[in-house]
Amino acid sequence: MNKGFTVDCIGYALFAAFVLLLMPWMVDFSGYELNSYARYLALGVVAAAVALSWGTAGILNLGQALTFGIGSYVMAMHLKLKASASQPGGMPDFMVWTNVESLPWFWEPFRSLPLTLAAGVLVPVIVAGLLGMFMFRGRITGVFVAIITLSLMLAVQLWIINEQGWTGGENGITSLAPLELFGWSVDTYSLPFYYLAAGCLLAVLALGLVLIRSKAGLVLRAIKDDAARVRFFGYDVARYETIVFSASAAMAGVAGMLYCLVLEFASPTYMGLSLSLAMVIWAAVGGRESIVAAALGGIGVNMAEGRLSDLFFDQWTLMLGVIFIAVVLFLPRGLYGLLDGAREMLSARTGAVRENAAGAGKVVPPTGVASEGKTD
Amino acid sequence: MAALILEGLTVRFGGLVAVDGLDLHVRDGELRCLLGPNGAGKSTTLDLICGKTQPTSGRVLLGDRDITGLPEYQRARAGVGRKFQTPTVFRSLTVLENLEIGRSARPGVLDTLRVFRTPVRGRVQDVLEMVGLADAIHTRADNLSHGQTQWLEIAMLLMQDCKVILMDEPTAGMTVQETAQTAALFRQLRGDHTMIVVEHDMTFVRDIAETVTVMDMGSLLAEGSIREIESDPAVREAYLADTGDEAHA
Repeated sequence: MNKGFTVDCIGYALFAAFVLLLMPWMVDFSGYELNSYARYLALGVVAAAVALSWGTAGILNLGQALTFGIGSYVMAMHLKLKASASQPGGMPDFMVWTNVESLPWFWEPFRSLPLTLAAGVLVPVIVAGLLGMFMFRGRITGVFVAIITLSLMLAVQLWIINEQGWTGGENGITSLAPLELFGWSVDTYSLPFYYLAAGCLLAVLALGLVLIRSKAGLVLRAIKDDAARVRFFGYDVARYETIVFSASAAMAGVAGMLYCLVLEFASPTYMGLSLSLAMVIWAAVGGRESIVAAALGGIGVNMAEGRLSDLFFDQWTLMLGVIFIAVVLFLPRGLYGLLDGAREMLSARTGAVRENAAGAGKVVPPTGVASEGKTD
Repeated sequence: MAALILEGLTVRFGGLVAVDGLDLHVRDGELRCLLGPNGAGKSTTLDLICGKTQPTSGRVLLGDRDITGLPEYQRARAGVGRKFQTPTVFRSLTVLENLEIGRSARPGVLDTLRVFRTPVRGRVQDVLEMVGLADAIHTRADNLSHGQTQWLEIAMLLMQDCKVILMDEPTAGMTVQETAQTAALFRQLRGDHTMIVVEHDMTFVRDIAETVTVMDMGSLLAEGSIREIESDPAVREAYLADTGDEAHA
């Protein structure tokens, strides 16, 4: 536990410098360009969320976009109510078109910004907590977790599309008002907004690293190794799994809120299959063992996607596909695995003596134990 | 006082009765050896005590507490530790990290969220020296030799500091010397911990045993000192005579 800490700090500092200085410098601190970079940061947060449960505890959540989408809808509902304040009854336009008579009760809390921000984190946590309790108390693992999370996400997406009067349906929630934060009307095409997104990303990653580097994170890694064995040491495995699953949902909720701010609408595609699977790919490319690396994967892949689609118009999806296949084949641990391997080789070269000095059980003196007699 | 009592413990797997009405009293601080031919139900008995398997009928009492219905993690918290037949450690964790997992007096999430380092002194240092892994604390467990892995698992149980330790063939795969060292360690632990040891190696059993329980076909065949057991005609027939040459298999 002690050794990995310095490595983490260095990685985190480099990553912070990249996000805070290098990325804005690449576009001359131009607010307009930084809008799409803020989008990449939001996707970096959700890639880190995938890595938190997958890389640390071995829980592959294929429905991560569910909690991401919930976060974005929460934010969109608040901004929509703000935009509809002048309408009769404060009703959003799509409700009027679909003949909804009064604002549904579950929209009411979203008039308040503090409640909205709390809900953007807590609703994903509650959803993941309930689902996690059901799955992990029942000792569901591996591919079955992936199937359940994926199905739940698609079910919720279908419900949202169907309940057009309450949710905006297929179109999502559009024409939003700008967010107002402590009297600052947030301009999403500005440097301050970029730094707001970067601040969220760095804060969330720091909290995640604390969780991972604590003994709780160690227990989670042990669970990934051999869950049954962990139980025989007295740890409640289901509770640990539920908590990391919920923490990951909270991160995804934050990411969803940011994403909604950047794109200025929420849509059922945010809970779609292709986005959800893409999140897993980003985490895999960056390296699922480290949430910082996974965040970098999310940012990098989306950045590359932006560049490639500018240059090659149509063929970029093909090129991206080739990159993914190459990563899975040659770098199964992602870019993080490449760096970690290099670091291990270096430390093996310098500290070879210390590492290999362990002799087999040489301390306990055989206090006159006669081991003659019949053996072998 | 009895540390562990089994009352009429029975488990059926389909048509097979693996353990059949087993009664067992283990005194506080006792080192009990469990013998028996293959398939006698020794490992299954340990599974029933630690909660890996639920009994069809009967009770398991730890001290005066009935732990029959508890899930395995609560039994571990109540004071039952288990060492498995094939050494089961966390292979992707280092030796020190494995010990930290073993150090589970406070297993709640809120407790573990506040622990960030394993101090290599006091109990941790003592245990590391006892099992000879003090120089290997940062070695990943999958780089250890087979003997070292066995010792690491024993070390984790020592960190767990449980009342009752269940050992399933702790010397399997160890060299003669390592076996002797293990015997010395066990004699040292006797008194502070109650131990139930399943073992095939008769030399090892003679080295450590106070009381020996022999099982056959899922039930108790004989109980007594090693000398009484070795001269018991029923035991000789069921076990010692026909497996004497495969005692190390």
